[in-house]
Amino acid sequence: MAEQVISPDLNFVKDIIASGGESLKKCYQCSTCTVVCNVTPDDKPFPRKEMMYAQWGMKDKLVSNPDIWLCHQCSDCTAYCPRGAKPGEVLNAVRKLSIRHVSMVPLFARIVQDPKLIWLLFAIPIALFFVFMPHKSLEFIRFDDKMVYHMFAPAEPHMYAPFVLKMIFGLTAVFSILSALTGIKRLWSGMKAQAGDVKSGGNLTGDIISSAKTIFAHSKFADCNVNRLRQWGHLLLVYSFVGLSISGIWALIYSYLFNFTGPYPFTDPMKLLSQASMLAFIAGIVIILYNRFAQAGKAGMGSYFDWIFLTIVSGIGATGILALALRLANVSAGYAAFYLHVVFVWLLLAYAPYSKFAHLFYRTTAMVFARHTNRES
Amino acid sequence: MEKNIGLYICTGCSIGDSIDVEKLGNIAKNSLKIPVVKSHFAMCGKEGVELIKNDIKNEGVNTVVIAACSPRIKYEEFDFPGCIVERSPLRELAVWTQEDPEERQLAAEDYVKMHVIKAQKGDLPEPYMMETVKTILVIGGGISGMTSALQAANAGYQVVLVEKEAQLGGFANKLYKVVPAAMGEYSEPLIVDSDIADTVKAVESNQNITVYKSAKVEKTDGQPGAYDVTISSNGNSEVVKIGSIVLAAGWRPYDATKLEHLGYGVSKDVVTNIELEGIAKNNGGRILRPSDGKEAKKVAFIQCAGQRDPNHLPYCSAMCCTTSLKQARYVTQNSDATAMILYKDIRTPGRLEYYYKAAQNDPAVMMTKGDVTSVTDAGNGNLHVEMENSLLGEKVKIEADLVVLATGVVPATADDPILNLQYKQGPGLPDLELFDGFADSNFICFQYETRRTGVYAAGCVRQPMNMSEAQEDATGAALKAIQSAEHVAAGIAVHPRAWDMTYPDPFMQRCTSCKRCTEECPFGAIDEDEKGTPFYKPGRCRRCATCMGACPERIVSFKDYHVDMIGSMMKNVSVPSDDDKPRIIVLACENDAYPAIDTAALKHMKIDSAVRIIQLRCLGSTNLVWIADALSRGVDGMLLLGCKFGENYQCHFAKGSELADYRLSKVQETLGRLQLEAERVQMIQLAIDEYDNVPRIIGDFVERVKEIGPNPFKGF
Repeated sequence: MAEQVISPDLNFVKDIIASGGESLKKCYQCSTCTVVCNVTPDDKPFPRKEMMYAQWGMKDKLVSNPDIWLCHQCSDCTAYCPRGAKPGEVLNAVRKLSIRHVSMVPLFARIVQDPKLIWLLFAIPIALFFVFMPHKSLEFIRFDDKMVYHMFAPAEPHMYAPFVLKMIFGLTAVFSILSALTGIKRLWSGMKAQAGDVKSGGNLTGDIISSAKTIFAHSKFADCNVNRLRQWGHLLLVYSFVGLSISGIWALIYSYLFNFTGPYPFTDPMKLLSQASMLAFIAGIVIILYNRFAQAGKAGMGSYFDWIFLTIVSGIGATGILALALRLANVSAGYAAFYLHVVFVWLLLAYAPYSKFAHLFYRTTAMVFARHTNRES
Repeated sequence: MEKNIGLYICTGCSIGDSIDVEKLGNIAKNSLKIPVVKSHFAMCGKEGVELIKNDIKNEGVNTVVIAACSPRIKYEEFDFPGCIVERSPLRELAVWTQEDPEERQLAAEDYVKMHVIKAQKGDLPEPYMMETVKTILVIGGGISGMTSALQAANAGYQVVLVEKEAQLGGFANKLYKVVPAAMGEYSEPLIVDSDIADTVKAVESNQNITVYKSAKVEKTDGQPGAYDVTISSNGNSEVVKIGSIVLAAGWRPYDATKLEHLGYGVSKDVVTNIELEGIAKNNGGRILRPSDGKEAKKVAFIQCAGQRDPNHLPYCSAMCCTTSLKQARYVTQNSDATAMILYKDIRTPGRLEYYYKAAQNDPAVMMTKGDVTSVTDAGNGNLHVEMENSLLGEKVKIEADLVVLATGVVPATADDPILNLQYKQGPGLPDLELFDGFADSNFICFQYETRRTGVYAAGCVRQPMNMSEAQEDATGAALKAIQSAEHVAAGIAVHPRAWDMTYPDPFMQRCTSCKRCTEECPFGAIDEDEKGTPFYKPGRCRRCATCMGACPERIVSFKDYHVDMIGSMMKNVSVPSDDDKPRIIVLACENDAYPAIDTAALKHMKIDSAVRIIQLRCLGSTNLVWIADALSRGVDGMLLLGCKFGENYQCHFAKGSELADYRLSKVQETLGRLQLEAERVQMIQLAIDEYDNVPRIIGDFVERVKEIGPNPFKGF
């Protein structure tokens, strides 16, 4: 290994501490964490060395380190740490800083990561959609005396609102995709620069497929002990997101290609898929939340970064279900619920590459990289 | 004194059931001619003790031999002032350790006989009285010395304090801040002002303390209780009468110019921990680089800068880890500065572990383990600290703008006798190389003790330690110094025979001035006059009787311990005529080996019936004539059980067991003259906690002697 020159970055240490890694300094490098970790590669295992880098403020070593993303935060390390240094929480904080580091628009990362800006986080979509979906119109809108969310609009013509909504979501999606791609690219080149002259495996497609298999099977989660239950919660959530995305696209196909607009009957296969996804979503989020509280003693309570993400995800579910229920009950407050639902969905979409949701992109990237460089097989 | 012996046999503790006490009594009456022989079922009880007291009063008994239990217990019950008291440990050495009833009886008879002889040969001790003073001299005016001085002064003793610098305070004067006192977790502030000025004031205003500044001890003559110490101060010399001495001469930092590989002397920005104190103190806490006066932002502390390195200081200096943790706070007072501590191990014993934890929690204090190999110029005005085997990676360079070497403690005694003793054996404390120059001793048993009676070491001159440990040390040493002055005044010995009123009383007419005693005395108690004739300074003597063992003319004796006494005990041991039954004499040191045998007995372990055990003050008192006498009488072998010696010695007299071993190597010649095998005499080192091994060690030796065969002198 080439000799490294270390010049500690105190601000980075302080950032980690402020990001939920306040226990970081307690680590005395006994390496119990690497011994109990079931997901680390055997060669140069984490998280012991990451704890050292973090204590020493070695930012370059951490933000482009595939290992911080190979960690699935099982929290076995945190549970067994004799000094209460909570390596799982520290790596979580480091991941947050890594997301910020590779972010295309750092302001977005700040808005979703800084508790002091929580008002701005919510104010933007609330204001945005308030302009296009003012509550005043709520009571007037009735279509054949039935509530129809997709026609939900501020004024005549009725079709304006869906168009504007679709425009907003479309642009947001483009922004998110660009952000994610930029982040992935930056992370990849950062990891490559860090890895130095490590030999790469060659077959990138194969590495991507094998990583995807691992992700869809959730086999890494199965190696966890403390957060064992999370495997199922996370699995259900992932598949519910997949199901909801498919049904969303399906609905677009219905409305654009077949001019078949909602509300869709419950017997429609698309509707069936979305309902099934919704149930999986509820089950998933309940398991995840239960696991968080049940294991808080061993794994830690998590940071703002975790909870804002859980809030957005839970918010989507809660407002979506509420809107559905109110629509079925034909209570016009459903429009308000739907309005909030749109706010939450936008939050998830817009901040996907900046919030904890970004782990979807970056953990996948790291897993591919690790396979590509033979760090992981 | 005309001896009127009374033998009191206890029948309690199952002695009466296992031994024919009547037969024992008859032997004593008829063959030992003891006028008063009595037994009781509980001699240590009120009735038993009264029985003895009554005989002392009414029968004129003045020499009491108690055949009961070990002399190591019940000594308060069996205390008869004005009488010689001898104890024959039937319970331990016959009843509990002997299995065969016949052998048990024989052992009991032998032990009674041996101890009656011992009583007959002994005399009532009288204390050695001389004119003494109890003034305590404290050498060193640092935190240790001042604490000792205050403790002794507050206990009512006159104290003379000698400090080499122009002012009191020692190293504490040089410190910018100190570690605060805490009972548990440390909380802010983690660095506080030292209160050394208050201590200096307390010392200087104490009426019992006379302070000599810019002073040194030129000469220490005499002996405990009556030292004549010449103190020179500002060109004047003065002789002061001193009772005992606390040596608190302190330490100096290791010479950093020897640490060129760590950049010292090469770069101005490599400083020692002591120099950093100066930088902080002179700049109001700001850490400014010596090279350009800029405030240091990245300060690397290199721990073990010379310590635990056989090429420099082979030992841990105990205080440098905490010092660096403290100094890291000097650095991090500046909110954008980092302190990087590079260590082999962090050693913060006791409550200081909390101080370490507090430092760990500071984001600006970074610590890592590794071996620092060099400090080099980084080329940009900064320095690179190179590390191997680092937790940060294989080999790393750490950029720093200031490097602090946590240098270690070198005791003042490393190359300066300090005391300048006027002793035949030399001006300083002997054998300090065992402790890397520190005025230390085997610390478990001998805290503060030195090999010079009346001199007690405290603080960093004794062991590397921090300030609060030094204060504790100083208090302990002051107490030992007080004890020493008091004991000498009362004419009794100090540790470990702190009850002993006897003293060596040589028959000088037969002295050949061979000087073996002056050389061998572990405490330098024997000096020589102009003609080279040895003479004792009894105040220095610890009564180990090493001189008695050393003397080829056998002229050294104590009132209750002499060559003839132990020799006579051996001569009265029964030697079985049967060739299959060897007789072996075990000489056991009273400090470790004999207590180990006692413990083995207490656990009812069985000891080979071939042995008869004799307790010695110290194996160093073994005179070779005993071996010659015993073997020529037909005893088949002799086993000497003494303390561990060498680097980790446990000998309570430091050198006794080692000298016994040395003398045994010379016994070959004697045995050769008698045409006996050298293997018949052996010395084994036995620690007090090795009682489990006692039966095996003795059994193995008996087997070896059996293999050699019976002593040809048997029956002559």
